[in-house]
Amino acid sequence: MTYTFKLNEQVYKITLEENEGQIEVEIDGEKLPVDYRKIEDNLYSILLDGQSLTIGVFKKGKKVQVFFDGDLYDLESISEREQRKSSLAASGVQEIKAPMPSRVVKVLKSEGDEVSRDEGVVVIEAMKMESELKSPIAGKVRNVMAKEGDAIEAGTVLMVVVSDTPPAE
Amino acid sequence: MFKKILIANRGEIAVRIIRACRELGVSTVAVYSDADRRSLHVALADEAYHIGGSAPGESYLKKENIIDAALKSGAEAIHPGFGFLSENEAFAEMCEKTGIVFIGPSAEAIRLMGDKITARKIAFDAKVPLVPGSEGAVSDVEASVVADNIGYPLMIKASAGGGGKGMRLVRSKDDFESALRMARSEARSAFGDDSVYVERFVEQPRHIEIQLIADSYGNTLHLFERECSIQRRHQKVIEEAPSGFISAKTRKKMGEVAVKIAKAVNYKGAGTIEFIMDPKQNFYFLEMNTRVQVEHPVTEMITGFDIVKWMIRIAAGEKLPFKQGDIVMKGHALECRVYAEDPATNFMPSPGTIEYLSTPSGPGIRDDSAIYNGCEITSFYDPMLSKLIVWANTREAAIDKMASALREYIVLGVKTNIGFLRRVMADEEFRKCKIDTGYIERHPELINPGTRDMKPALIAAAIAMNNSTGSGLQAQAAAASNWKLFARRSGVTRSPLA
Repeated sequence: MTYTFKLNEQVYKITLEENEGQIEVEIDGEKLPVDYRKIEDNLYSILLDGQSLTIGVFKKGKKVQVFFDGDLYDLESISEREQRKSSLAASGVQEIKAPMPSRVVKVLKSEGDEVSRDEGVVVIEAMKMESELKSPIAGKVRNVMAKEGDAIEAGTVLMVVVSDTPPAE
Repeated sequence: MFKKILIANRGEIAVRIIRACRELGVSTVAVYSDADRRSLHVALADEAYHIGGSAPGESYLKKENIIDAALKSGAEAIHPGFGFLSENEAFAEMCEKTGIVFIGPSAEAIRLMGDKITARKIAFDAKVPLVPGSEGAVSDVEASVVADNIGYPLMIKASAGGGGKGMRLVRSKDDFESALRMARSEARSAFGDDSVYVERFVEQPRHIEIQLIADSYGNTLHLFERECSIQRRHQKVIEEAPSGFISAKTRKKMGEVAVKIAKAVNYKGAGTIEFIMDPKQNFYFLEMNTRVQVEHPVTEMITGFDIVKWMIRIAAGEKLPFKQGDIVMKGHALECRVYAEDPATNFMPSPGTIEYLSTPSGPGIRDDSAIYNGCEITSFYDPMLSKLIVWANTREAAIDKMASALREYIVLGVKTNIGFLRRVMADEEFRKCKIDTGYIERHPELINPGTRDMKPALIAAAIAMNNSTGSGLQAQAAAASNWKLFARRSGVTRSPLA
C-alpha cells in the first residue's frame, strides 16, 4: 500500500508492506524494516533501525497530525490527482482566512484598496488577544467579506487580495 | 477552619485550590460556565453550580451569580484564584457585605494596588524606585506629549491591566498612534476600561518579582524572588526560583522593599510585587498583584511553603507560625507554561480538542493541569494547558530535568509550544542565564524545529493510515479509559508539599 503526504509543500511517498507484525517501508527509494505497535488510540511505538520512537498520530479526513519529538506537524494525505494540481504554481489570488474561531474587531481595507506585502488588513480578537492579519502579497483588495463584530469560524475567508503582477507559470 | 469553600475560577488553578482544600479537610464548591460542564474542576469538586454562558462576562465575571452559588451551597469563603474576579475590589466588597470571606486582601488593598497610578504613589512614598513615566492615565494628546518627553522605546499600559492585556511596546514615534489605539481597544474589551498610561522601557529588562505572604496580625514575610524574564507578548512563559542572576545582597534588599510596600496597605494573604531590573541589578517597582500568581509553584518548590493552603488558613484567621529567618530556600525550580498555541504564527492560540495526551512524571516533576484526553480547549479562555514544574539541586540540573520531562509530553489535537520550550532548554544563552524579556524576540530560530529527519514521522503517519483502513494487524488496540487516565494523573500530579 502506498501513501502520499504533503508536508511543508513537499510531497513524500511511502510504501508499506506488512508481514506478520513486521513491515517493510520504502521511502525516498530506501527500504527499511520497521517494527511497530499501537499503544493506545493515536499513539504508536516504532522501532526503526534500533531507535525507539513514540509518535502520536491523529487523523481527521485528509489531514494527519503527527506529534514528533516535541512538535506537531500537519500532513496532508493526497491522491494522485491532487498531486498534479498542487504542483501548479501558486496563483496570484490570496484569500485572507481566519486562523481560528474569533471575532472581527476592525476591517482596515475596503474593496479596491491597494495593499502592500505584510500590511495589516483585518484585526481579529480571540482568547482576549487582538491580532492583525496581514496580506501575504502586494496587490489590490478584490472582495471584503468580513464585517466588524462578526463572530467567525476558523478558515472563514475574510478578504480576497489579487496580486499586481501575474503569477509566474 | 472553614467547612466549605467556593472556588470562583476554572482550569488548573481551580484544580490546585480544590486539592489544597481537600487536604485541609474543607469541602469544595465549583462553579462553571456552559463551556465547562465537562471540565476537570467540576468533576473534582464536591458540589458544582452552573453560573452562565461560556463568555467570561456571562459567567466567571458575573459577581451576583457567584455570590448566589455561594449562598445556595452554604460556602463560607470564596477563593478567586487568578484572573477573572481575583483583583476586583467590587467583588471583594460584595463578599464582605454578604458575610462571605474573600480569600485574599481587603477590598481597600485591592483598590489601592489595583489602580496602577495609586500603586506607584504608594511605592514612591515608601521610597521604592520607579520607572519614569506619565503621572496617571492620559488622553491621546497628553500621551504623545509624555511619549516625546520620555523618549523611545516606551510602554503603553492599561491602567486596569494585568497579564499583558492592553500592553504595547513602542519602538518609534511612527508606531505610537496605532499602538495606542490597539492598547485602548484591548483594555476596553478585557477590563471595560480603556484608560492607559505611558512609561519608559528599560533596556534588557529582567522581570523579577517577590512573593509575599501576610497574616492578619501584622506578620508580613517574603518568600524570595522568582525570575520571569522569558515572555512572549508580555506574558510569562518560563519562570524560575531563585533568579540565576541576582546577588544575595539584591535579594535581601528586594525582599525588604516588597515587605515595606505590603505593610503600607495593610496587606493580608498572598501577593506579589513585580519589579523590572536592568543589567546592573537596579530594580524598579512595576506593580503589585493582589492574588495568587500563576507561577507560585516554583516558590513552593524551593521553600516547601504551600502558598494556596496558607492563603486559606490566613483567611480563616490563622497566624503565621514563622519568622522571616525561618524561611529558607533550597535548590532550584523551573516552570514551563504549556500553551495551546502555534509558535510559528506569532504564538497564536490554537483551540481544539485534545485528541491524545501523555504527561511526564518522575521525581521532582509536577504538572499542574486540568486537561485530559478528549477535553475541549475553547477560545473563550486563556490557552494555557498546564504548568510543568521541576525541582533539582542546581539551576543546571533543573534545566536538564525540565528538558527530560518535556520529552515525555505529548499533545495531539491542538498546536502547543512544547517543541519551542525544549529548544529553549537546550539554548546556550538560556542555560547561561543570559536572559531578559526580549529573549524570545531575539531568538526566532527557536520558533521552528528546523530541518530534521522526518522519516519516522512520515512512517508513523503511513502506519496510522494503514491502521484506519482496517488492513493493519494492530488495528484493534484497547482504547484506554479516560477515567483510568484521570485517576492516574490526579495521583501523580498532586503537589508533594505539605
